[in-house]
Amino acid sequence: MTEITTDTKTAASRRLCQWLFNPFKFVAGCKALLSGLVIILASAFVGSLGNTHFDGVLDVHTGREAPLWFFFAEGLINWICMAVPLLFFGLIVSRSSFRAIDVFGTQALARGPYLIAAVAMLPDANRRFGEYLTAKLTQAAPTVAINYTDVLIFAFAIILIILMAVWMVALMYRAYTVSCNIRGAKAIATFIVSLIGAEVLSKAVILQLFK
Amino acid sequence: MKVLPTRCPSCNSQLKVKSLVCEQCRTEIQGEYELPALARLSSDDQAFMLEFIKASGSLKEMARLLRLSYPTVRNRLDDIIERIKLAEKSEGNEREEKL
Repeated sequence: MTEITTDTKTAASRRLCQWLFNPFKFVAGCKALLSGLVIILASAFVGSLGNTHFDGVLDVHTGREAPLWFFFAEGLINWICMAVPLLFFGLIVSRSSFRAIDVFGTQALARGPYLIAAVAMLPDANRRFGEYLTAKLTQAAPTVAINYTDVLIFAFAIILIILMAVWMVALMYRAYTVSCNIRGAKAIATFIVSLIGAEVLSKAVILQLFK
Repeated sequence: MKVLPTRCPSCNSQLKVKSLVCEQCRTEIQGEYELPALARLSSDDQAFMLEFIKASGSLKEMARLLRLSYPTVRNRLDDIIERIKLAEKSEGNEREEKL
């Protein structure tokens, strides 16, 4: 009886792990695309409430005011800038035939952790600390006063964002290996090149959009 | 149910069929027969292939039955195809060596 309970627990925790770090084993295609797009747009909307910009595939910045459409555009640009190079490398490197909708769908879903990052940046303490930090860096007189609670909230948000970024990259990599059936050194090398390229490209496109 | 061993437990080489018997009249045929490619797969892979055939070769249907995503099922099938190709290649090499 105890053995069965332990086995069930192990199976349950393994399944939870798979859902957290490789949900693409269970979800891909249209389902992933639709839920991923909802997550991207929700992150952008939540981000707009606290002026949190995802102005690059991995970037999270706060402070700059912009219309709502700009936040949505940032999210979609980040997603497309990451999915297109992965699709390109997949076509070159993979020996399997795969569907583009799986690459786009799973990459959209992989951006899920940044919804949590957007929520973490909602408290006004982050905006105050951001403004205070900018004033300090530009050697201008701070226009806002901050207290210890602001510092603690900001520190918590930063730690959470770093964790979410790591989780998101892990999910993006898993999404790539599952949707294109690529493993090993080839998968790692092409993913790193795609990630760097996507980061540069998305920053450039978003900068142009803001201009 | 007994599981058909396909690899030698001693040296891990591919096993061959040496004897076939008729359950009805006990006629026994002795020889050295190659196992068919599908019979050489692991029992898990064989079960997967059986489900795949029963699903009329539809990966979408397989994904629904196994509650897995389409690319996961397709990757599994690709892996099995790769293993079959490797087995066929090594079998061809063995034959060439014998000749």
